[in-house]
Amino acid sequence: MTEVILILLVIFGTLSLQFKKLLNAVICLAIFSLLSSLLFYYLHAPDVAIAEAAVGAGVATVLFVVIISKTRKEEK
Amino acid sequence: MKESEIVDMISRKLFPYILLFGLYLISYGHLSPGGGFQGGVVLASGVILICLSRGVSSAERVFPSRKLRIVEAEMFFLFLLMGAGGLLIGKYFLENFLPLGEAGEVPSGGFIFFLNIVIGLKVGAGIILICFYILKSKGE
Repeated sequence: MTEVILILLVIFGTLSLQFKKLLNAVICLAIFSLLSSLLFYYLHAPDVAIAEAAVGAGVATVLFVVIISKTRKEEK
Repeated sequence: MKESEIVDMISRKLFPYILLFGLYLISYGHLSPGGGFQGGVVLASGVILICLSRGVSSAERVFPSRKLRIVEAEMFFLFLLMGAGGLLIGKYFLENFLPLGEAGEVPSGGFIFFLNIVIGLKVGAGIILICFYILKSKGE
């Protein structure tokens, strides 16, 4: 299970770097955060998993989406 | 921003339960996974939900940013005071000065419970303030 999550983490991290549209990149980053919180839970660190899910997938994604909607939509 | 009936209704119904979960994470931080920081972030995410569905102005009516600023600064001061309480009884900084309860109960672990509450309020107020300022800013 851990190996599958690690491979998915690499895939989504690369995708979020490669996307030219910033909204797609942010969604990939949110999936990356959720997967890494799942990985922390599997590695017996539920404390870090809660922090990662709340900050990475919740607050940071909302802030990124709001900031993108107020600035440019695509990478230069 | 266009208003959506579904998002409005769901966020209003979900808001008290998110706050309750945040308070649970804070108050059981010394017994189970969770703690001050995580609980504070969950508290803040509940308020952000209200911000996104009903607008910043209606969220700011319940949580005025002036009071949030005061809470954030006061909580840091309170944290330092509680840490200095350990110095007053002749031990180290952040030394426990309250009686230890029975293991496994909520009032166990001395003043860690109160430290968690202080940290949770500070982190929650800080993140709510960041989101207020970003949501209110005009952009480019």
